[in-house]
Amino acid sequence: MDIKDRYAIAGIGYTAQGKVPERTAISFYLEAAAGAIADAGLSKKDIDGLICYRYFPPGYSEREITPYYVAQQLGISPVYLTQEANCSRMQLYHAIMALASGQCNHVLVVYADRSLSNPRDIDEINPDKAVYGQYGYAVEYAMAARRAMCDFGTGPETWKHIAVSQRRWAALNPLAALHDMPLTDEDYYMAEWVVEPFRRPDCCLVSDGGRAFVLTTTERARDLKQPPVAVMGIGLANPSSYSEQSFIMSGPTGAKSAGERAFRMAGITTEDVDACQIYDCFTYTVEITLQDYGFFRPGEGRDWFGGGRTAPGGSMPVNTSGGQLAEAHFMGLTPLTEAAMQLMGRCGERQLGPQTGTKRPEIIVCSDNGATLQSHCCSILRRL
Amino acid sequence: MSYKKPLPRPNPDSRPFWDACRKHKFQFQKCAQCGSMRWPPAFICPHCHSGEYRWVEVSGRGKIYTYAVIHRAYRPEFADDLPYVTAIIELEEGVRMLSNIIECDPARLACDMDVELVWDDITGEFSLPKFKPLVGRR
Repeated sequence: MDIKDRYAIAGIGYTAQGKVPERTAISFYLEAAAGAIADAGLSKKDIDGLICYRYFPPGYSEREITPYYVAQQLGISPVYLTQEANCSRMQLYHAIMALASGQCNHVLVVYADRSLSNPRDIDEINPDKAVYGQYGYAVEYAMAARRAMCDFGTGPETWKHIAVSQRRWAALNPLAALHDMPLTDEDYYMAEWVVEPFRRPDCCLVSDGGRAFVLTTTERARDLKQPPVAVMGIGLANPSSYSEQSFIMSGPTGAKSAGERAFRMAGITTEDVDACQIYDCFTYTVEITLQDYGFFRPGEGRDWFGGGRTAPGGSMPVNTSGGQLAEAHFMGLTPLTEAAMQLMGRCGERQLGPQTGTKRPEIIVCSDNGATLQSHCCSILRRL
Repeated sequence: MSYKKPLPRPNPDSRPFWDACRKHKFQFQKCAQCGSMRWPPAFICPHCHSGEYRWVEVSGRGKIYTYAVIHRAYRPEFADDLPYVTAIIELEEGVRMLSNIIECDPARLACDMDVELVWDDITGEFSLPKFKPLVGRR
């Protein structure tokens, strides 16, 4: 099935974001979802597919957020409905397939959380790890990054460029949580350890808020309110192994094969890419993803990210909203919606183009990455 | 003094492992068909899908595949240990597991460093296999 350029993002929904107390998680789902529908110029009756992104428990005072509950509160009865629970990142692909199979015409993808104001217990406790005091993803990614230091000589010298460059983008984005918090190389090295080799600026934010988009056929999108942003290529990979059994921590990760599939479908090379929006749970994730996509060879990241290449005014802008390190943590929807907004030309002060010293983008590569490098989706979006 | 940290939760797959640990016997499943050793304990071999296996005792020697130095407590029970080290140990026999590196300054650790087993008898019922740098071989 040829899906290149056949499906397009038609609308994007934002919410209040950052630290937003006195709000329920479901309220962010509804705000993002309704926003995306209205942004596309659609009405709720048009939505026949609903995909809820990664599930997290909303906290003590709220009922479980199921996709049924989201649909009920939106007043819709979708033909296709699903929700993801363990960080596999197939949502964009599911949306495409729901359209390609003819079951749906307009699919809504939504994520929301309120865990900054309402911290929750650690997710996915593995009793075999808890006995050793190992909890959460930061430790797992720190282990991957440590192995990469050993295998190809990366380290804080590389990652500081990523953290600093993204913070410079955040300074251009009034929505970014760290908009008013510049970061210098010196600040990076002075920052506290979280899990060595990661310092605080290597780690993504925790955010209240949500994000959504509507995907439809490119043909339908042309008649809607926003300029359509087509999915030019998509590639998936699920290496699946948990960290203690993983042999891919220092690459090639799933990004390599997923990236090859996406670039092949799009019929382009890295030379044709104008910007990247890369899943950045940690700085190292950005490095290994772009390395596996072929933007540079193993260990060359220190030079590649140096000199502001990925910062405002650089030749390969990366994570132009500030990303999950500095804007907000909405899973793969942070990079994907930023790519679509840039291609639509709706990014204000941070808009790629003459004002940020680059060309107006036509092609943006996005990544989504789940669990500990266990699931990957590479998507290539373009302005038509 | 009572032990406050999480205890192992043996299940039908892992009970033989934890029972052996209590006797300071460090054993893993070895596939009877393809000979590969596996962790975590599992009903079939992930390589060849054979359900036949034996529990085989291993040397307790291995290398640090990778490690992390934890500087903030995700649980209060571990606050007194900060900073502490979790690591993926690749045993000589090829099997890998998560554990702690103890009896070593975290700043002196490195990937591929040789380590050996140390038993931590946490309660009368449970002993945890932990590791320390192997003195004399590196």
